[in-house]
Formats: sequence, C-alpha cells, structure tokens
Amino acid sequence: MAEAPLLELRGITKRFPGVLANDRITFDLRPGEVHALLGENGAGKSTLMNILYGLYTPDEGQIVLHGKPIDLGSTKAAIEHGIGMVHQHFMLIPVMTVAENIVLATEPRRAGVLLDVDAANRRVRELSDRYGLAVDPEARVDRITVGQQQRVEILKALYRGAEVLILDEPTAVLTPQESQELFEIIRSLKTQGKSIIFISHKLNEVLEIADRITVLRRGKTIDTIDAAGATEEGLARLMVGREVLLRVDKQAPHPGDPLLVVEHLSVIDDRGLEAVRDVSFEVRSGEIVGLAGVDANGQSELIDAIAGLRSVESGRVLIDGADVTGDTAREMLDAGLGHIPEDRHRRGLVLPFSLTENLALHEYRKAPNSKLGLLSPRRMVARARKLLEEFDVRGGTPATPAGALSGGNQQKVVIAREVDKDPKVLIAAQPTRGLDVGAIEFVHRRLVEQRDTGRAVFLVSLELEEILSLSDRILVIYEGRIVGEFPPSATEEELGFAMTGGRRHEAGGVGLTEPLGSGGTDSSVLERER
Amino acid sequence: MTEVQEPQGGDELLAEEAVSPPPPGGVPGSQQHFLTRVRGVYGLIGPVGTAILAFFMGGLVVLVTGSNPLRVYNAIFNGTGLNWFFHVGSYSARIPFSTHKMWFPWDTSSLAAQNLQQTLLVMTPLILTAIGFAFAFRCGLFNIGGQGQYLAGAYFAIWVGHSFANLTPVLHVLFAITAAVLAGAVFAGIAGVLKATVGAHEVVTTIMLNWIAVWVGSYLFGQGGALQNSAQPEIPISFDIADGAKLPVFWGLKLLQGLSIGIFVALAMLVVYWLLINRTTLGFEVRAVGFNPDAARYGGISVAKSYFLAMAISGAFAGLGGAMDILGWEFRLGEQDVQASQIGFIGLAVALLGRNTALGIGAASLLFGALATGTSGRQLDASIFQPDLAGNLTIIIQGLVVLFVGLNLTGALAWARRRWRRPA
Amino acid sequence: MTAVAARLGGISWTSPRTVGAFGIFLGALAFWLTLPPLHARTQALPAALGILAVAAGIWSASRGQKRVGGGAIAAGVLGIGFGLLATQSSISNLNTVVVWSALLAATLRYATPLIYAAIGGLYCERSGVINVALEGMLLTGAFFGVWAVAWASAWAGGAAWIVGVVAAALAGMVLAAIHAVWAIHFKVDQVISGMAINFLALGITGYLFILKYGQSGTPGDINTYGIPDIHIGFIAAIPFIGDIFGQLNLMIWLSFLLLIVTYLLVFRTPFGLRLRAVGEHPRAADTVGISVYKTRYIAVIASGAIAAMGGAYLSIGFVHSFNENMTNGTGFIGLAALVFGKWKPLPTWGATLLFGFSSALADRLPTAYGNQWGTLFQALPYLLTLIAVAGVIGRSIGPAAAGRPYVKQ
Repeated sequence: MAEAPLLELRGITKRFPGVLANDRITFDLRPGEVHALLGENGAGKSTLMNILYGLYTPDEGQIVLHGKPIDLGSTKAAIEHGIGMVHQHFMLIPVMTVAENIVLATEPRRAGVLLDVDAANRRVRELSDRYGLAVDPEARVDRITVGQQQRVEILKALYRGAEVLILDEPTAVLTPQESQELFEIIRSLKTQGKSIIFISHKLNEVLEIADRITVLRRGKTIDTIDAAGATEEGLARLMVGREVLLRVDKQAPHPGDPLLVVEHLSVIDDRGLEAVRDVSFEVRSGEIVGLAGVDANGQSELIDAIAGLRSVESGRVLIDGADVTGDTAREMLDAGLGHIPEDRHRRGLVLPFSLTENLALHEYRKAPNSKLGLLSPRRMVARARKLLEEFDVRGGTPATPAGALSGGNQQKVVIAREVDKDPKVLIAAQPTRGLDVGAIEFVHRRLVEQRDTGRAVFLVSLELEEILSLSDRILVIYEGRIVGEFPPSATEEELGFAMTGGRRHEAGGVGLTEPLGSGGTDSSVLERER
Repeated sequence: MTEVQEPQGGDELLAEEAVSPPPPGGVPGSQQHFLTRVRGVYGLIGPVGTAILAFFMGGLVVLVTGSNPLRVYNAIFNGTGLNWFFHVGSYSARIPFSTHKMWFPWDTSSLAAQNLQQTLLVMTPLILTAIGFAFAFRCGLFNIGGQGQYLAGAYFAIWVGHSFANLTPVLHVLFAITAAVLAGAVFAGIAGVLKATVGAHEVVTTIMLNWIAVWVGSYLFGQGGALQNSAQPEIPISFDIADGAKLPVFWGLKLLQGLSIGIFVALAMLVVYWLLINRTTLGFEVRAVGFNPDAARYGGISVAKSYFLAMAISGAFAGLGGAMDILGWEFRLGEQDVQASQIGFIGLAVALLGRNTALGIGAASLLFGALATGTSGRQLDASIFQPDLAGNLTIIIQGLVVLFVGLNLTGALAWARRRWRRPA
Repeated sequence: MTAVAARLGGISWTSPRTVGAFGIFLGALAFWLTLPPLHARTQALPAALGILAVAAGIWSASRGQKRVGGGAIAAGVLGIGFGLLATQSSISNLNTVVVWSALLAATLRYATPLIYAAIGGLYCERSGVINVALEGMLLTGAFFGVWAVAWASAWAGGAAWIVGVVAAALAGMVLAAIHAVWAIHFKVDQVISGMAINFLALGITGYLFILKYGQSGTPGDINTYGIPDIHIGFIAAIPFIGDIFGQLNLMIWLSFLLLIVTYLLVFRTPFGLRLRAVGEHPRAADTVGISVYKTRYIAVIASGAIAAMGGAYLSIGFVHSFNENMTNGTGFIGLAALVFGKWKPLPTWGATLLFGFSSALADRLPTAYGNQWGTLFQALPYLLTLIAVAGVIGRSIGPAAAGRPYVKQ
C-alpha cells in the first residue's frame, strides 16, 4: 500500500568517543513527502543527517537510494545523488554575494577560465522565480535578512539538483510569521515533487507541516507515525520518554524596588550601525523580565552594554539606583551584576582552566581567593568544592578542566559562579541553549529561585516557550527597539507578531502605535498598562 | 597525555557542535593546552622526544654533508663542559668570595670547568629571554621581539654602566639593571600598546622592532656612534662599562669570562616567573586572557590592559637578560655582535621546548646554552667540525625543535594510527 | 568627460573623508616641497603645511573617519619631521640623495622582493593559512637561486638564470610543503610552524653557504649569469620615464604580470572564488564539495614558490651574491604590506612601493649624510612598516578563517 521509498536508512550506527550518537537507526523517505525527524537536543538528529549528507561516515548500516545501496563518502557524493541540506547554521560566506554563494563549486564559466558572474546571476534569478524564493542575486549575504539567507541555502541545494532536501531545525532562527512563509515554500516544493526531511524539536510545527513523523530518542528510532491523528502530548511522550512539564512551577511574583533601570539607551554595533535604539525598561527586585525577539535584533548589544562590555552611545544604566553608565565590566560586576552569558564556551568559561579557576573568574581578586594580589589556591579550592556540591555539578573535581564537563554541568558552573557572589541583578542570556531536558529544568528552577530571593532577573531568550513559562513580564525587541510589553498570559502569536515589527492594539498586550519614548517616560507608559 | 581535552562526548554536545558557529579568532586555547599544561611524567615525553628527534635530524644533515655526526656531537659535547661532571676525583676548591678552600669532588679549574662556565653564562640570558617569550605566550601573544628587547636592555646597561662611574658599585649595578629592565619593558610595551589599542599583530610589530633595535645598535656602536669607544675611533665597539658596574664573578677568573652571579639572578627569575603566573591575580588574568579573551572580558578582566602588561613584563625579562650579559661578562658590545646575536630567538625555542613552564625553561635553557657553547669557535675543535657550520647546525636544531614542539607528538601519533587503521 | 565631471561633482568637498585625504596630501606636500627640484628652504613652509595636515586629520578623525584622519595626522607629523630635516641639509646633499628617477628606479628594485613575498602570502592567507614563513621562503629562494646558477652556468650558459629561478621556486615549494602539512594536517599553530620554517631556512641556507662558499663567498660570475635586465629602447629614450623603466630586471616586469594574473585568478575565476570561500568559511566550502585541504595545499605551496622567486630575484637579479640571513626581514615587510593592503593585490602593491621607497631612500641617504647617520637610516623601512601596520590602517580584517585549522567532520 505504501509507496516504494525513495530513500532508506537501514541500521545506521555512529559512535563518537564515549558516545553512541546513532544506534541502529531506521528511516525511510517517500517521494514527495515531508517527513519530520523529531527529537530533543542530543537525540542524534543532526548526526544522522550529517551522515546522510556525507559529512560523517556511519560505523554500521546502509543508505539505500532508489532501491540501490549507495556509498556517501563525501558531501560531493551526496550532492551528486540529489541530496541537499539546509544547515541550521547557514553555510554561507558572508562577504560574498548571493549568486556567488549559490554557484560556488559549480560555477558557470566564460572563455573556459573566467567566472561568468552574469550567467550566475541570471541562473539564480531563474531558479528563484521558478520556486518562488525571492532573493537578490547580487546582494551580499551579510546584508540580507536571516529569512532571505535561508532561502539562499534552499536555492543552493536546488541549484545542485537536489531531489531530497534536508532542513535542519529551519525555524530556530525564524519568527513565527517567517516560519509560516517557510512552510508555504515547503508546500510548494512538495508539489514540485521534492521530498523533504524536516528536523525539529518543536511539536506544533512538526504536526503542521509533516506527513509522517519519526521520533528519535537517545540515538534510537522510537517510532514512525502518520502526522494525521498524532497529538502534541503523544509526541512529547515519545520524544522525552516521560510526561513533560511544559510550565515551570512558580508562585506569583512580589516585585519590589527597581534594581536594573535602563533609560533611553542607544548602542552602536561592530559595523557602526545603531543596534539598540532608545531602549528604556526596568527590572524590579523579585521579578523575571523576559526579552523576546528574533536573533540579532539588538539583544546581544543590549546585554553587552548593560554589562559594560560595549560602550554606550547615549542613555543611562542604573543598578540599584547607582548610575553605572560607561563603567567597565569589572565595575559593573562589582556594582552587583551577575551575568550568565549566551555562549558558555566562548564567554562563560575558560575551558582549559580548572573548575576552581573558572569559579573564581570574577572573584579572584577578593578574599578569600586572594590577598594583596597573591592567590590562595587552598581557599580557592575549598570554595570551589563547596559550590560544586551546592549546585550538584557532576563529572568533575575542583581540579578538572571545565572543557571536560558536559554542557549541562558547565552551565551549572557558570550559574554557581554568578549566583554565589550574591548579585542584585542577574542577566541570563539564552541560559538553556543546547541543554537536555533535565538540565533545562535545573536552570529554570534556579532562575525562579533567584527571583524569589529578591533579585532582579533579566532573561533573554530566543525560545518563546522559555520566555513564556519563566517571565513575569515580557518585553519584545525588534530592530533594536522595545516594541511592546506583554503579560505572561500572552500567546505565541501575539509575541510573534510584535517580534516581526507588527504594531496593533491587542487585548492583553500593550499595543503600541508609535515607538516608545515619544510620549512620556517609558516606564510610566508601562506602569499605566499594568 | 594529560593535556586538556576539547569537549567531546556527552551527546548533547554533539548537537551543540553543529549549533555553535566557529568562534572567531580560533578555538580558544586549542594550541596552548599542550604547550603550557602538562603534568606528571608524561609531560616529559613530548619535549624529550622532540629534542631527540631534532638532534637526530640535525645529525642526518651532518651525515649527508660528509661528516660523522657522532664525532661531531661528541666534539660539541666536549666543548659544552658538561663532561666536567664525569671527572670525579678529590680536589680542593676556593669558596666563592673568600680565600678559604674546601674539599670538592670536581676540579674547578680544569678546561672542562671553564667550558661549563661558558655554558652557564649563555644559559643566563637564554632563561631570561625564554621567560620573556613564555610570559607573553601565556597571555596568547607571540612575542618574537625578545631579540630587540634583549638588545634594548643591553644598550641601556652599557650606557648606564659606562656613565655614572662615580656611583658606588652596588648602586651602579642596580641602576644599570633597572635601566635595562625598563628599556626592555618600554620597547616591548610599544608592541603591547599597538596590540591593545589598534590590534596590530604582535608578530609583525615585534619583528620590525627587532630590526630597529639592530640598526640603532649598529649606529650607537659603529664609527662615530654615540656610544662608540672614542679612544679607538676606527673600531666599531662601544665604551667599556666601569668596573663598579660589573657583576661579581664567583667561579673562574674575571679576565677569562668567569661565571658571574647573573646565573643566580636568572634562576631566581624562574621562581619569580612561576609565582607571577601561578600565584598572583595578575598571572590569573594573563592566563585567562591567553586561554579565552572573550570569557576573560566577561569576567571583568581588561584584555587590553593584560596584553600591554604581558608584553611589558615580557620585555622586562628580556631586557634583564641583556643587562646580565653586559654586566656579567661582555662589558661592551660591537656592531658585529649586535648584528649577529640570536639570543632572543634561541630563547623562543627554549620556551617552546620547555612548554612555557618554569622547570621546562630551566632544563631547555641548559640544553641550548650547552649547544651554543659547544658549537662556538672557542670551544669546538675545528679539526673535527667547522665552528661556522656548527653554529648553523644549532639554528637548524633550533628550527627542528620549534617545528616538532608545535607538533603535538602524541596527537600526530594518534593521527597516524587513525590513518593506518582506516586506509581511506 | 561628463562622466568625470559628474563624479567630481558627486564628491562632497567638506566630508570628513575628503578632508582627511586632503590632509594626507598636505603632509606629503610638506616634505615634497623641500626636496629637489623645488628646494623650499624656509622651515615655516613644511611646518605650516604639516600643521594644516594634522589639523585636517584631527577634524576628520573626530568626525568618525578614524583611519583617514589618523593617516593625515601621521602624514602631517612625518611631513614636518622630514621637511625640517631636509631644510637642514645642504642643497647639494639633497640633490645627491633625491634624484627622482634614480630613487624611483631603486624603489622598484627594493619593492620587487616585497611584491613576490606579499603575493605569495596573499594566496596562502586567502586560503586561511597564516604565513609568517615568507622570510624563510625568500631566503631559501635566494640561496638556491645562487647555487643553481653557479651549478648550471657551466652547461646552460646564458640560460642558467632560468635554472636558478626554477630551483629557487622548487626549494620554496619544499619548504612551503612542510608548512602546509603542519598547518593543514597536523593542525599546528600556524605562527609556530611558520617561525620554525624561518629558523630552518636560516640554518640550512647558512650551513650550506658555509659548506659550499664559506671561504670565498658566492662566485663572482653570478653577475654574468644572473637574471637579465630588459632594455627597452623606445622607453629608455623618453626623458625621466626612461631613466626609471628603460632598464629594469626581468623579474620586475614579471612582478607586474604576477600582480595582474593574481588579481584575475583570485577575483575573477572559479578557482579564486573557491580559494576565498575556503579562507572565509571552510565548512561552507566543504559542504558544497570543495576540498578544503586540497585548496589549502595548493595555495600554501604556490605561496612558497612565489616568495622564493622573490628571493631568487634578490640574489641573482639584484645583488648578485648570497650572504647569511641576507633577507633582513624583507619577508616580514612583505607580510606587513599584505596586511596594509588588506589582502588585495593592488593596494598590497601600493604598500610594497611605499616600503620599497623608504628602503631606496635609506640606501641613498648615507651618500649625503655619512655612514654614521646612514646606519641609523637603515632602520627607516622597519620604522615606516611599524607605523603603517600600527596606526594608519587601524584594524585590518583578514580572511575570516585565517589561522584556524580546518577539522573535517
């Protein structure tokens, strides 16, 4: 009854040092279907798809295309077999044009040796017309939007004659509205006969777009089911193996005095453009304020400015009433700022440093860690031992280098360090990125705990679910401006609309018809609405 | 190996590997792990293997060009004075800085003893320039300006040592040392400021500074130069420093380039280096910046300040090296010496071979000090091997050491094993 | 004409950028006016012009044009300094030193090894491999060029220089191959492996030089068998131009060709697109089936060949001999020119000319000022390079992946 599959993966196993990433995985793709691959972070989805795209070689198992086993030793082989991949983090060269990126490695030539730029632009235009993927072939990739970049990635695969398209977490970087546009594109590709593997960990999306769903957990295939008739709850159980807590348990907030106040803040980014524009808000003691927004709308620059890592163009930052604008990072930290940075590998930890040293990364100059510029290793280790126990960090002693820990435990180390110094304001930037469910719960619990002990918590996240379940108030940032404030009861749609710059009056949300700051002080506007 | 592993394993990390874009400016500390962090006996295997490999390949060069490498190495070894330790007997030795004598198992006035004094003399600036390189390296900076900083120190030692002749000896020495240390620090500090403010790459700037130092020196000591000895205007050599500015010699004769107390200064600096890096907040900052400047910045550490301080301190050590040479045994510099000196570059190899640790630098500096002494015209038996050739052999070995020390030997073995197991 | 007029009309004459550029021009003018043939003797002139340049620079820098403004400030200060120095010297001295045609011809001669080094470095770094080993590659080329010419002169006669250049290129490739294996396969820190190559080159060339020519130096007939000069009659007949271009070494002309070919290859061909892709985002290149390793090997080894040819020019086309460590940091200046030129062929060429000019000037100054000061002037090219790398250009952003080993998945 079922159509003959176009592509089959049979018993794929892939091991990494210490990890069994894929364990005898079976998967098949029928012609013209959208087949979703669902699983948590770390379930082995990306590994499997990298095998299918020739980036990894499987240790065991077979890949069968059109009924014939094929050998995918390289991406080149995968491309030749008509397999194309849109990576979650785009494989685009920022300083080159759209057309150059698309034709790379299969360039049209002029006179046999020269690159034919005109032909490249022309072909890209034809292709984008045919599939309804509007992009300007001559634009430089770093000057177009993320949504457009994704289209370039899809065009790249189509240009190479892809029949099978792998989309790896394609909606992770998109707003809900942009996601809808992507789904339109996927449907149109389907009608043109392309088969699509759609990787995601978002249940609602998978139910919306997929024909069939295969669930992976801990490197194993759990089940393949038809999307019709499946429910979110059922999928969640398959995915996690137990009931999932979608909401965090927490009491009603008891907000006190404002501890973090940002007034009319403007910040310039690395390219000299205004990334944060006249932003004002406050975070009070005992509340979590979430900042929602699509990636690269000024969040990083805003946090960096508050943390003293980027110079402020205009405006003020106050911590517990003290003006700290323009202070250095160290002065900010001393003023009572705790900061869980967005990328723990690059910013949160010095990976070759021991846990002891990492836990002292801010406090090394203070007693008991040091005295008169001399470190006291014994006291540093004792403090580390205490913190590791208190925060349940597993897999390491005080002497273990941070790089040897798992991601969840690394994040615990960062949180332990930031919380231990008893900050007044705690900034948490994407605190759960790349963590498994257990670690996410831990982080969430700790953040709520910090709120309840009277700290002001400022949460920045790209995950709407996280924002909605943790925040007491939600701010939305779009193109460097705060475009709205919402209560935690807001829906994803409302937030998503604001995140794309839409402005309208909504019941429940603060609709703004004009940018904040143009009438009265922002906080007073916000106060009234509350 | 006990070096730090890049995070691998933990299956959420595998997903994350695809998630996080490659950090700009390199994987934090990926190279520096094995060049600084080695514990236990295993830590010895790499450097010792590296040295053996380098000497072996240097021997091949000698063999191919028609000499017997064993004889050559033997002659070099005999020139180093390290054979002194093998001639145990019953001798009496004068206790340094006194007229008393005591029993001693080695002959302190043999030819080998004199050679050993030379080795230790060369070892002194090598330790100091190596510390200079290592300190900056720990901050993630590749300071190849040790040569220029060493020279800057030497110039100021000569200037102060020659002027102010009416100072009391101790003061004079201290003054000369201070001037040299500051000169080295300022000279390296230029590169540090440029790195910290405009991000100019320290490799290019320090190399340029080296050449500037060389030509300034050539001018200073050349004919008609500001520090040229005016008593003999046709010889391009500097003034001699005053007797009061010379370091006390505790072994051998002053006239025969006996060993000054400079070696103890250098050894003490190894301890200072260790303390500075491992036991001070400054060292903590320097190491944090060296491993991961981003995380250091998030931790409130000023990266620019660390870059500047690391370079300046680095230059201070190298400048001290210059002072020790001038005040300890050279007493003057010629235009030729300035052009030909390679101490700073050998110091770089010493630091890398010693994995930028205090103990490692101590051991590696003995090796290179011996090699430099053993191949010099005075010590090497010219009938066996031409000293000019041997001098270049030293540079070849130095190059091979740097080549193989950068190559994580165990990593290369693992790679070879992978290749062998899966012939693709 | 109208197009030109339209363009000129499009320039905003009071924009900070234009003012900054004008400041740089003023700074240069301050120096130039004091030189032959104009010989302005009053100190007020360079001082006034220089101060104007600095003022323009400060104005421009304070309005966001930090680079151009900084350039104008530096040009102003240098203009004052050199201008005052020039007014201090006698006119006859100036006339001896500043013979523009001879100075420019010497500039080309000194710039040529820099061009080869910098262009070699361009291929290497555009592919994502940092190359601080250019110095060693030049030196190796210089030695093996001499060695091969001395060897081939007996049987190849007038064509011996071809053997010399080829041998130099091959030697450079061997050296570069080591750098390539270390940097690409063993993933060693590229600065460390580059420095190792430099030491090896210094040691090996020194060793072989002593072994082969230790007593007497390199043979005197390198002059006869070296790379020939090209005499172009009709150009030589043109006054001034002829003095510069009439009689130039073949390798200088080839360096112009190399520049053009490099520009076309890197920016106008599929190979160039792939090369740059590998240097900017190797994983992206890999995912479309470009072999990152192969591309980098080709680029690094080509860079060795090109840089070594610059070395060959130095030894068998320019000074006609070899000496230990004769390159004296030329390779590093070439590397600085590459950074200064932002990894683009034509700006890089401009930078090599600037550094070449300072070498030419340093070379001629002793004739007027005596050896004592002349020695000090030898530091000028290095000082200028330092200033260029440091202040004027600010942060120059290179290929994004430079220095990072590519780990295949």
